[in-house]
Amino acid sequence: MSHKRDLPEEDAHAMPAEDLSPEAASRRKLLKLGVGALGCGLAAVPIVPALGYLVHPLRSGPGAEGALLAVGKREAFGATPVRVDLYSDRRDAWNRESNVKLGSCWVVERDGALQALSTSCPHLGCAVDFDAAENKFKCPCHRSAFDLEGKVEAGPSPRPMDTLDLEETNGLVAIRFQRFRQGVPAKEPV
Amino acid sequence: MRISEWFESRTGLGSAIAKALDEPVPGGARWQYVFGSVLSFLFMQQVVLGILLAFYYSPSASQAWASTAYLNDQVTAGWFLRGLHHHGSSAMVVVVVLHLLQVVWAGAYRAPREVNWWTGLAMGGLVLAFALTGYLLPWDQKGFWATQVATGIMGSVPGGEPLQQVIQGGPEYGNLTITRFFALHVFVLPIALGGLLFAHIALFRKHGVTPPAKLSDAELKRTTQPFWPNQLFIDVLGMTICAAGLIWLTYQTHGAELFAPADPASNFVARPEWYFLFLYQLLKYFEGPLQIVATMLLPGAVAVTLFALPWIDRATSRRASARWPALSVIGLLMAGVTALTALAIVEDARNESYQHGLVVAEEEAHRARTLALEGVPPEGGIAVFDNDPKEKTRKLFKEHCATCHTIEGRGGEEAPSFDDYGSREWLFALLRDPRSKRFYGGTKAHTTMEPVAVKDASDEELHAVVEYMLSLSGPEVGTTDATLAATGKTLWDSKLECSGCHEVEAGKSGTGPTLAGRGTVAWIGRVIRNSAEPDIYGDTAEMPKFADKLSPAQIEALAAFIGSQREAKKTAAH
Repeated sequence: MSHKRDLPEEDAHAMPAEDLSPEAASRRKLLKLGVGALGCGLAAVPIVPALGYLVHPLRSGPGAEGALLAVGKREAFGATPVRVDLYSDRRDAWNRESNVKLGSCWVVERDGALQALSTSCPHLGCAVDFDAAENKFKCPCHRSAFDLEGKVEAGPSPRPMDTLDLEETNGLVAIRFQRFRQGVPAKEPV
Repeated sequence: MRISEWFESRTGLGSAIAKALDEPVPGGARWQYVFGSVLSFLFMQQVVLGILLAFYYSPSASQAWASTAYLNDQVTAGWFLRGLHHHGSSAMVVVVVLHLLQVVWAGAYRAPREVNWWTGLAMGGLVLAFALTGYLLPWDQKGFWATQVATGIMGSVPGGEPLQQVIQGGPEYGNLTITRFFALHVFVLPIALGGLLFAHIALFRKHGVTPPAKLSDAELKRTTQPFWPNQLFIDVLGMTICAAGLIWLTYQTHGAELFAPADPASNFVARPEWYFLFLYQLLKYFEGPLQIVATMLLPGAVAVTLFALPWIDRATSRRASARWPALSVIGLLMAGVTALTALAIVEDARNESYQHGLVVAEEEAHRARTLALEGVPPEGGIAVFDNDPKEKTRKLFKEHCATCHTIEGRGGEEAPSFDDYGSREWLFALLRDPRSKRFYGGTKAHTTMEPVAVKDASDEELHAVVEYMLSLSGPEVGTTDATLAATGKTLWDSKLECSGCHEVEAGKSGTGPTLAGRGTVAWIGRVIRNSAEPDIYGDTAEMPKFADKLSPAQIEALAAFIGSQREAKKTAAH
């Protein structure tokens, strides 16, 4: 074979006896330290900025209080809970969306006044439903049940259903949509 | 037992690493061996950066640009990570070429390393495929148009059309194009490159480095050093220099460019990334049926030559002096590529329309990215321009005015067109033929004004009348020629019968609109509010009153938009 001279001889692959002098040993140590230090530096180039980059969504903090959103005329609501969807403009990361569904709530009249209860269960956020037969709100996920005022009657919910700001002006009902922390006894906006 | 010993006894990781690092380097550690390690480092860095970009990037035709603009312009350090990834691809191309040149110079493509040479060539091709697929992903003007050329070339070669359609996901660009390019770029290509890299390194370990040919076996053996730490230290130094260069470049350029969102209706000055410029230049020399020479035959011939290099090289010695035919082939190839690249750059630098196109593109990019800070409507990238107040006004016009009025070439013919509204030419044409469809021809009530025929006023005389009318509008509509206007006034007062219907002073009203301030933004605003005012159209007014339908700000914006049509043509002609 004409290219035989390119093939390394077998013993060329064997390492020569290591230079055991103290100078050589300290030089090797220095090189190893150098590899470690530079290697860490190289890893830091993407990793350090990545930390700020990945947690960026947390920097905006809790969302600003939303506007009152019109949901309908006063006559549309009574002692039987009515579920309404809340629409508004919204920023979602890079998108600016207009008139999209933010969520929904139950509107029910108690002692002549309207009350808005978020459909989001305070336990773990499932959508609370109204059981007309038992005249109760019931969460389909973990069996929490609430009376028409939102008080817990059964199940694991740590607090009553969350009330939302509601205003009546000139016969029109408007509600401020908000989300609250789940799974805790206190009602804290997120 | 110490934890490290326990872990070692359970996994054997330490000894595996030790074995991986235990590689003799005959002839000692050298700088010319760093390129492969630097490429491995760059590939790993690209993978890490690519994964980070995927935390924000959304691969769809409607969201890609908006998400890229968001991650680049709003997310903390987003511009830096994207910039590193962008310039990292250039760095990979540069180091691939350096690696190839070193391998050719050392004769490392020769037996027994042919398969290693071929895996290397295949990886070089994959690096270019990465560049091509990644270029499209931001879905900006540059990526969109440059990639159109690439897939267009694919479709133009015999039998290439089905392949083009499969890659594009159909006959034209859309969601399927971007999801395909994304899947190729982030799954298929990295897995393929990773697999080839593994084979390449395994083969390298099998055959060892290719030391300088001039050293004898005894000399090589005497100067052998271990890979760890001697060669690895030099390798890591090489990586550090490369990383420092990338960071510098990223800061200098403030990351990667991002042009305006892809607009299939625009005429963008498309250029490929710099390392494809030689192919772009080559294409200029082969037209029509010869195009295939530049797109397939020459690149194919180069690929075959590189592949066959181990057989082209018939020398019995690995010394460079004995291998001049093989070295000349590669040398000529590199010279050709360099010359074509230089020609492309020089020609573009001298190409005024290209340079002008670049300036326009950069202005548009700046405008789009500024508007994107408010959020991009979900309809897609170019919808970002809807954020522009001008666009909002345009929409308002479309909703409320365009049923009857035309602007920018679109709209109804029931009422006067606003194209060039208020210009000398518009007024002149109106006076000659007010019943034309362009003016009051589509209206029912505005039938009273008589055309000014040529026998009543020559073109020259009518121009003077137009100048006089403009002078009545006031300085807002532009400077007027006083002498010409004076001639016009004489004609107006004596020869023509204009003053029978039209008053010229503010506050007075005749059968036709009073001409003081006519055509100014304030006057247009009054027409929009209520065109039936006695000094405007009075009883003949047909237009609905918008005073109650639109807000004062909306009316003002519409009036300014209509008033600006006088200047629109001038700006567009620039």
